[in-house]
Amino acid sequence: MIGQVLGHCRVQAKIGEGGMGVVYRAYDEVLRRDVAVKVVKKDALLGSSGSQNLLHEARASSSLSHPNICTIHDVGETEGELYIVMELVEGKSLHEMSRDAGLPPETVIRCGVQIAGALVRAHDRGIIHRDLKTSNIVVTSGGLVKVLDFGLAKQVGAGDRDASFEGPTRTLETMQTSSTFSGTLAYMPPEVLRGEAADYRSDLWALGVVLYEAASGRRPFEGRTGFELSSAIMREMPKPLGSPVPPGLWSIIQRCLSKEPIQRYQRAGEVLAALEAIQGAAVFAAAPSAERSEPQTLVLHSVRHARVRRGDFLLLVGTTKGAFILRSKVNRSRWEVGGPYFHGHAVYALAYDNRADQHRIWASTASFWGTVLRSSDDFGRIWTNPQEAAIRFPADTGLSLKNIWQISLGRADEPNTLYCGVEPAALFETHDDGETWSLARGLFDHPHRPRWVPGNGGLALHTIVLDPADKQCMYVAISSGGVYRTSDGGRTWSAQNRGIRATFMPTKYPEFGQCVHKIAMHPARPERLFLQNHWGIYRSDDSSESWKDIANGVPSDFGFAMVMHPRNPDCVYIVPVESDQFRCSCDGRLRVFRTRNSGASWEPLARGLPQKQAYETVLRDAMTADSLDPAGIYFGTRSGQLFGSCDEGKTWNKILEGLPAIVCVRSAFIEDGFGHSIATPRATPQPPPSSRSKPRTASQSRRQSHQKKR
Amino acid sequence: MPVTFHIPGPLREFTSGRSAVTIEQSPATLAEALSALWKLYPGLRDRILTEQGQVREHINIFIGSEDVRYTGGLTSRVAAGSDISIVPAISGG
Repeated sequence: MIGQVLGHCRVQAKIGEGGMGVVYRAYDEVLRRDVAVKVVKKDALLGSSGSQNLLHEARASSSLSHPNICTIHDVGETEGELYIVMELVEGKSLHEMSRDAGLPPETVIRCGVQIAGALVRAHDRGIIHRDLKTSNIVVTSGGLVKVLDFGLAKQVGAGDRDASFEGPTRTLETMQTSSTFSGTLAYMPPEVLRGEAADYRSDLWALGVVLYEAASGRRPFEGRTGFELSSAIMREMPKPLGSPVPPGLWSIIQRCLSKEPIQRYQRAGEVLAALEAIQGAAVFAAAPSAERSEPQTLVLHSVRHARVRRGDFLLLVGTTKGAFILRSKVNRSRWEVGGPYFHGHAVYALAYDNRADQHRIWASTASFWGTVLRSSDDFGRIWTNPQEAAIRFPADTGLSLKNIWQISLGRADEPNTLYCGVEPAALFETHDDGETWSLARGLFDHPHRPRWVPGNGGLALHTIVLDPADKQCMYVAISSGGVYRTSDGGRTWSAQNRGIRATFMPTKYPEFGQCVHKIAMHPARPERLFLQNHWGIYRSDDSSESWKDIANGVPSDFGFAMVMHPRNPDCVYIVPVESDQFRCSCDGRLRVFRTRNSGASWEPLARGLPQKQAYETVLRDAMTADSLDPAGIYFGTRSGQLFGSCDEGKTWNKILEGLPAIVCVRSAFIEDGFGHSIATPRATPQPPPSSRSKPRTASQSRRQSHQKKR
Repeated sequence: MPVTFHIPGPLREFTSGRSAVTIEQSPATLAEALSALWKLYPGLRDRILTEQGQVREHINIFIGSEDVRYTGGLTSRVAAGSDISIVPAISGG
């Protein structure tokens, strides 16, 4: 063979002998590059139809272009032989690298991420590897992983039903007993041993075997004979991998090695996401932060992360069963969905905090295990999970936190300040970037508080609105308590409900006790507020001293969400629902209503929204506006549909469906990449953040330091 | 005699992945046993108890096979060698 020309490749030297044939180094004399040529003896391994099939498969696999897949350049046949010309990969096989005692976990995870990435690409193209194993994976000296022989295993052995084993030297390694069998026994999943067809999940099983072997230097299932090995694969559990293999990696391997395909990851992308998640964790474990000792939550269930880049636009979506981060280019036409984060936890509040050169996402999570405020500085890959809940009612109150309904950023020049509105109704504040929180006693001690009553969603302080110009002034809305304002920085509060009806009370215009669903303010006109009530839409032009009904021409003045246009202080969006008895869109038509004249009139915006049998509910925080021009408006429904408009509401598109009930939607524009944030995307528009030249506080420096250590 | 806590999956990120944690002291009551558990794994406390020190509404604690709600709550006696299970309720939608 040496010196022969196959196609336009001159064979130079034998470099290996693999499961399918002999591999040579060769030189492509036309394209003038070094290549590898795999030569397969037709008669020995393939029937006549098998030859054609192998060529067909090789051609299909040649369409795979991915940095972790060894590229197939060409296929052909000469007398008695098939040959496959492929990229020459110089390195060591993962089998060689790991056979002594296994590789360090970081290396295993790094290789695993690349192998999983290769499988994602191949599976997307409908190509199953079928013979993934450590000897088919080559790692270059630079750490780049290349997976060889995609899709080729299927055809080998298909034509020769008498050949039990591939060759005399590898009798246990590669088993091809019939048309239903191809691949290497030690990497074969139970269903293939049972005679079922291989599918994508068969590759994920093999990936589990590869990761186990790479981490430990031994295979998860062993046997002295093919029968023993098959029996172990079918029936035995792999021996657990202890230290130094981290629990996260072990749990990924275990899931890949679930005997039933349905119990494995269902897509390579899920394994990739899980490995990426612990990749960050492994770094963290190697260099624990001295300042922040609480554990980081690693998301190990089928979580996919959106890959956020500068110029991207995000939607943060909170649901009753977890949170999602959707990423798009600024044209907002195609979306990549990250998540779900916090499996099974209700996420009622989300906020994007881009003050002080940060890209921090805040999230409240509520479950059987309590309610905590968490944050991520890397768009969801790692979330804090504090040992001790920082937002907690003091002992003397006798109360326990049920939920956090609102996370509100402090003013732009108060980058360490945040507020949370919680259930039972109370306001908490932090002035050290979330390290410590305190109950706002001025409001908590208000004599009205004992007479506030829970609404349908509980007794919640759900809305916080800061006057951007007057640091002493802020508003809160409570269901059912009404609107309260402080004009002295929180020391005292007054009920501000004159003119707002409480239809469910014997006195229709009480001092307090109204069930306010949402209030909104435009920062350019802080003296004016809009209000969506439990029956009634209102405006105040005098800093909430009095309210005027502005439900002019809406099909119902019952509703929850209310959002300001980011630039036009006369423009407000709402989504009316039929009544308090039937909290669904009116007449089965999902319509957003907009006023552009401060409530003198409202216009329906329905183009692109379902107009038949659409009995939807948009909850109070499930709608938001972005900061772009023209403005985008987004909302989610209780039925898990997410809609968006990039043209201020003229036309709508369904972005996503099938989510759990959506309770919170927020937007974020990542204008200038990591560490240099400019945009101001918030549900309630606020003035632009302060100059970047502002000196950092100690906690910000800690945060930076913490990030670097991750 | 030590007692052993059985930790449910969602809380194991606070126990370095351990599904069982043995307390070497000999606690007389559940409250004492839990205090010893918090010392080892402080993140568990706020997940199991409210800030007012009550067992969370949807969390059940069993000493052996007895639900402590019916045996005195946090004052329930803990026999030497007991197995204590922390179990989320099956309610929910």
